[in-house]
Amino acid sequence: MNIEQRFQQISQSNFETPDGDSFIATLHEERQKRHVKKMGIINGVTAAAFVAVFGLMTTNQLTDDPAAYASNDLKPLEVMDLETEEYVYDLAEYLVESSDDIWETLAFLDNIEFEPVTTMNEEGIQ
Amino acid sequence: MKTDHELIREFQDGNKASFDELVKRHLPDTYGFFIKFTADEVEAEDLAQDVFIKMFKALKKFRFESEFKTYLFRANINMSNTYLRRNKWRNMFHLDQAPEQGYMDTSYEDEWRKKELWDGVAKLPSRQRMVVTMRIAQEMPYKEISDIMGISENSAKVNYHHAVKALKEKLQD
Repeated sequence: MNIEQRFQQISQSNFETPDGDSFIATLHEERQKRHVKKMGIINGVTAAAFVAVFGLMTTNQLTDDPAAYASNDLKPLEVMDLETEEYVYDLAEYLVESSDDIWETLAFLDNIEFEPVTTMNEEGIQ
Repeated sequence: MKTDHELIREFQDGNKASFDELVKRHLPDTYGFFIKFTADEVEAEDLAQDVFIKMFKALKKFRFESEFKTYLFRANINMSNTYLRRNKWRNMFHLDQAPEQGYMDTSYEDEWRKKELWDGVAKLPSRQRMVVTMRIAQEMPYKEISDIMGISENSAKVNYHHAVKALKEKLQD
């Protein structure tokens, strides 16, 4: 017996081919499963890429120091720093001086709860 | 009876039943090829399934330049190479030290010889591995092997000769 026949004898197997219909059914089931899995991965990667790009774009619009935004966000709205307070007072003074109808301007300032006007009104009521 | 090419054309036109027909037609050969490799019916069925799943995608772009049988056989060879590589790693990490008990052979020694033979095949250079696989597992003539691999008949013979020499040495050790 030559070596080729010996190899063939070693690898010889008796087998029964699986049923064609059930093989095909399993095949399509597995194919669908793999397709769904693949689509899940693609969607995941697309979403991640979108978030990354969107994040990068919005981060670029911030100033050099994003901490400045964070610190402002944490500050209560009622508390104004000195510079802002001075600006608001100047603005109120300008509005009063330049308005044609001073009462209307005062009513507006009262409306936005500008402190000196509110105090003045309350004292007047008392 | 419709030819393979006709069935592929119908499948490309959207008829999935033609693909199923093609699978039924070539399942015995494909399964037979893998069962000789693995001696395990579950593993052989899984490998055959992987090949046909790949075919489902690939056939949509099939260009009718070769016979479907040849095309499918190339896919089988590629899949068996992947299987042999995977098993090489498995053996390296001693995941299956004892040869698996095949369902069809009762003799333990037969199983051991078979495992030893395919372990030896796994270690051959790629071209020799392909030639010897086709020759041993499918008993293919050199002409067909050379057509499938796109090499000359002489080259197939030389590769087979080198492969057999290497395997003989290994099995006699």
